[in-house]
Amino acid sequence: MSTTTLIVIGLVAAALLIWLVAVFNSLVALRVRVQNAWADIDVQLKRRHNLVPSLVGAVQGYMAHERSTLEAVTEARTKAVASSSGTVADRSQAESALSGALSNLFAVAEQYPQLRAVESVQLLQEQLTSTENRIAFARQFYNDEVMKFNTVQSTFPRNLFAGMFGFSPATMFAAQDAERANVQVKV
Amino acid sequence: MNTNTSAAPMVGPRDRESFFEAQRRNRRATWGLSVVSVLATVVMGIPLALTITPLLYAAALILADIVSIWAPLPPSFWQHADDIARYGMVAIGWLTQGKAANPQALALGAAVLLLPGAILSVGLWLGVNALFRRAGVGGALLALKAREPNQSELKELQLADVVQEMAIAAGLPAPKIMLIDAPAANAAAIGTSPNDARIVVSHGLLEQLNRDELEGALAHLVASIGNGDLRIAFRVTSVFETCGLLVAIVNSPFGSRSRGTLWRIVRYGLFGKRDTESSAQEAAAVATLLTRSAGLETDDIDNFFDTTSRKKSVFRSIRNFLFFPIFFTNMAIKLSLWFFSFSMLEPSMALLWRKRKYLADACAVQLTRNPDGLAEALRKLNSDRGPIPGGSWASHLFLVSPAASDRMSDPKANAAQQQMWVQMWAASEASKTSNSSPPAPTDLPSVMKQVTATGSAAMAGDANAMARMTAFRQAAATALGKSVDEMPNLADIAAAQHGDKVALQHLAEFSNKMKANQPAASDSQETTDSSSSFAGFFPSLKRRLKRLDRMGAHVELESDGGKSWIVIVVLAVFLGPFALAALALLLLLIAIMVLASLAFLMVWMAFIHELFVVFLHH
Repeated sequence: MSTTTLIVIGLVAAALLIWLVAVFNSLVALRVRVQNAWADIDVQLKRRHNLVPSLVGAVQGYMAHERSTLEAVTEARTKAVASSSGTVADRSQAESALSGALSNLFAVAEQYPQLRAVESVQLLQEQLTSTENRIAFARQFYNDEVMKFNTVQSTFPRNLFAGMFGFSPATMFAAQDAERANVQVKV
Repeated sequence: MNTNTSAAPMVGPRDRESFFEAQRRNRRATWGLSVVSVLATVVMGIPLALTITPLLYAAALILADIVSIWAPLPPSFWQHADDIARYGMVAIGWLTQGKAANPQALALGAAVLLLPGAILSVGLWLGVNALFRRAGVGGALLALKAREPNQSELKELQLADVVQEMAIAAGLPAPKIMLIDAPAANAAAIGTSPNDARIVVSHGLLEQLNRDELEGALAHLVASIGNGDLRIAFRVTSVFETCGLLVAIVNSPFGSRSRGTLWRIVRYGLFGKRDTESSAQEAAAVATLLTRSAGLETDDIDNFFDTTSRKKSVFRSIRNFLFFPIFFTNMAIKLSLWFFSFSMLEPSMALLWRKRKYLADACAVQLTRNPDGLAEALRKLNSDRGPIPGGSWASHLFLVSPAASDRMSDPKANAAQQQMWVQMWAASEASKTSNSSPPAPTDLPSVMKQVTATGSAAMAGDANAMARMTAFRQAAATALGKSVDEMPNLADIAAAQHGDKVALQHLAEFSNKMKANQPAASDSQETTDSSSSFAGFFPSLKRRLKRLDRMGAHVELESDGGKSWIVIVVLAVFLGPFALAALALLLLLIAIMVLASLAFLMVWMAFIHELFVVFLHH
């Protein structure tokens, strides 16, 4: 082979190598973003754990007859805090149980119009609504990042090398069955 | 319009275009438009450089002459000057007479003619950038009188929460949110980069939007921050401000106003401190001055060359004669700036900015997954546009363009006045009789109709009508807090209709007194100027709603019926050639002025140089 052919082959190989490095780096960056998004969900879940006692304490005086609902909320919260160091499946189950208990509490609180006038309760309720929203948006962001990650991995030509580098598609966050079931309102 | 009234429940996907596609489309469009804007700036720079460069050479030449009075410059300096002039002549010869020249000499000639002006313009632009970047956000916030939201109030807590939620959905650090106590509903993202970005929301917006709509509006702002719109906005404004600065510099030999503007800029540049309120207001004032002075103003020149002035003197005539070539250059610069800015720069930048707004809309839909919120918010904001005091220089950063504070269209003041008239009319009814007359109308137009009808009846001699008008006059007097005698009476009005001067004067006095009682108008003129200059930067509500509808919003759109297309096509066909001809003529005029200014300046330079040589040198 003549030297020019060798040089051309060398350049092409160098370009390919550089491209592979770029692909690897972009996949790593996307995976880190996915992991970051997952951790952000945990931050919002913890925030909810911290807010629940204040809410229960604030409405206790007005909803004296709803002890069972309030107790359910406190129990669910304790379970969620306890399971936050456990497996992902256990955690998501405990968190959706807490969501269910909280929506029960809100539904019951609708029947106490005097609660609406109490400003501290309103502010707390807004904070809890916002926390639920934040959890939802954090999950949405996580799903968006997973979508980007999976798309980059599966499109040609990167899909040829993604498996070789050790990347696998991440799983999206799906709503748990417990959340999809209808909420029982205890009257 | 609320979503509950949509006709039949839609089954199946509504969106014909997913927001991801909308984002891709808009991002591609902005790339293309950025290139076009840069090209437009470069094209604008060419005649500008052509006119500025001779000025710079002239100044350098005069300076060299003055310097060589004391310290004679070496002859190589004059040799270089001659060479430069020769290369310039080659380029001009090629341009005007088609004289052949070898490419190397031509390139050198072009460089000689264009480079100094180009360097000056770019330097000015960088300086303006540095100046306003230094101003920072704190200053703008102080000028707007923004405050932090009070977290113990429900609506403001909601605001803070919604911003956090949108930031989480976007994966961005949450920008700080500030509140301004203006009744008009509007919001803006201000700052020069995502790091020091702030979102400013008016109190009126908080009151009018519910949580979903607030979410949509804030998602738009957070998305536009994340997309880097702040940097684009900064560059767009700085280009316009550089044009204004050039005009001010070029005007400064002639007028005190431009000199004042320049002095303010220099003073702010050297002495302005960060983050103090006065320096912030100074920055905002300077920004407004610069963006406004980019227009064609000839007051300074007219004053300078005031040929009808009473103070004729030899000194003046000599001064006018000496400065005439610079006057030509001045006009050439201003005319070419105005022409290119109007025909190329502003349209391309406005188009670019509109695409960024569409992109932010599509990203907002991605963040909230709820296009209805944003659509409803835009509708509400658009129907209640009011002025934001202190924000006129940045009006293109707002969600919808803030309107000028025109007293006639100020809804709240108008509503109060209308209520007053209606009540007065109803009061006059009550004081007359209390039997079965039809209930008094409660809206102003029908009230006014009744008033005029009763008035004419009274003047024709109807006793009942006369009594009613007298009662009305009485009620008006009590309502306005005046004595009955001060109010114009029917005889006055009748006489004034026939042209009686005394009666007219009475009426005029009365209306003046009325005006004195009304609240003073704010600086409407300023707001009108700058908000109208940025008017093209906002996409129309209809287009935005149409795109949101494609992404799945439930909005009612009025159908065009295709008629407007026909009108546009017909107009284009008929007026297009005329417009193009006008543009071509303007371009020709600019070319002539540029060359004429070149010629004048060269003669002028040669003349002054010869003066120096003859009187002061060998």
